[in-house]
Amino acid sequence: MLEYVADALMILGGFFAFSGSLGILRLPDFYSRLHPAGTSDTLGQLLILGGLSLKVILDSSGDGLSVGKLVAISLLLFVTTPASTHAISRVAQLSGMKPWTGADSKEADFSQKEEDTNE
Amino acid sequence: MNAELITALLVIGGAFLALLRAVKGPTTFDRVLAVNVFGTKTVVLLALLGYIGDRTGFLDIAVLYALVNFLGTIALLKFVETRRLG
Amino acid sequence: MSDPVLLINVLLLLLAIGAALAAMWTRDLLGAVMLMGIYSLLLAIEWANLFAMDVSYTEAAVGAGASTILLLTALTRTGTREKAGPNFHPTALLTVLVTGAVLIYGTSDLPRFGDPLAPATVHVAPEYITQTVGKVGATEATENDFGDHVPNAVTAVLASYRGYDTMFETAVIFTAGVCVIIILRPLAGSARRRTAGSKEDA
Repeated sequence: MLEYVADALMILGGFFAFSGSLGILRLPDFYSRLHPAGTSDTLGQLLILGGLSLKVILDSSGDGLSVGKLVAISLLLFVTTPASTHAISRVAQLSGMKPWTGADSKEADFSQKEEDTNE
Repeated sequence: MNAELITALLVIGGAFLALLRAVKGPTTFDRVLAVNVFGTKTVVLLALLGYIGDRTGFLDIAVLYALVNFLGTIALLKFVETRRLG
Repeated sequence: MSDPVLLINVLLLLLAIGAALAAMWTRDLLGAVMLMGIYSLLLAIEWANLFAMDVSYTEAAVGAGASTILLLTALTRTGTREKAGPNFHPTALLTVLVTGAVLIYGTSDLPRFGDPLAPATVHVAPEYITQTVGKVGATEATENDFGDHVPNAVTAVLASYRGYDTMFETAVIFTAGVCVIIILRPLAGSARRRTAGSKEDA
């Protein structure tokens, strides 16, 4: 039973990892691309590595070192991925990059949405 | 076609999309973001490959990657920031 | 599709070739540095897949970490745009093609990968393996300089049998690093005037 849970966790994590990258490729603006990079990637690695460590526990019945390493990697990524994303967005904002608001006028507000890309 | 392989293929597909963004990326920050995401994908992929090939040594390299990736991202950002601002 | 590791290897190598070509063709040197970082990451997975763990560590630490920072330090003194010019050099292409053809021709003399009758396998490798791997866990014999503490044969060879070699390699690399720091020091000092820190400290 737990094996299926581990499989489901891993495939779900793979889905999140893939869809996050799809968002990075497809979203129209740098600041909007930050969202899949920060959130979806973190969740994806958490699910994949969690499922993997569950599988390791089930398979070799107590390979504690590998499970510890997996948990350490997961925690490390859990901290560093949002930190890097935040640092990127901060530097981008400091260097004067304006978020895309869907409007070309100066006083653009965030409520407007139009179907053109900003590239 | 077990779950590890499917997950690994999904992660490789995600890495490919991130690579496309790193190649396309109109601004530098898009590229930094794509490289960062690519590094995360690489770490996960190493762990998956270690499980598929039944080699625990991969996990050590994955730990190293997770550290080096963060360091590289911060170094890139520092370069971009100080060159633009100072 | 039968061997999942082989399938993943092929995909990763295709990605690595794509990253290398993109790093070659881009005019944005900062982007090229990042693409080379991606290329290093992919290559290091390949080293790990070939059981070359020490090379993989080195590729991860040097290729993706240190060389990125070194190239960025170089970029602080130059522009980040490649100079527009002729991108196609027939002589260079011819040289590369001829050298590559000679190298590929040379591989036909090499023994098959994993051949148990290859000279390297029958000549010295058994001696090393019996002296390193065989001693691990052995209670009576610690002729291996590391006793029972080195379960990896590659590490035992690198750090014990080739100890002097590795030590002087380390000395050479240290000297090179000191030279780089000496060369870059005044430049970094002028850049540090207005910024918080310098790159080579990282």
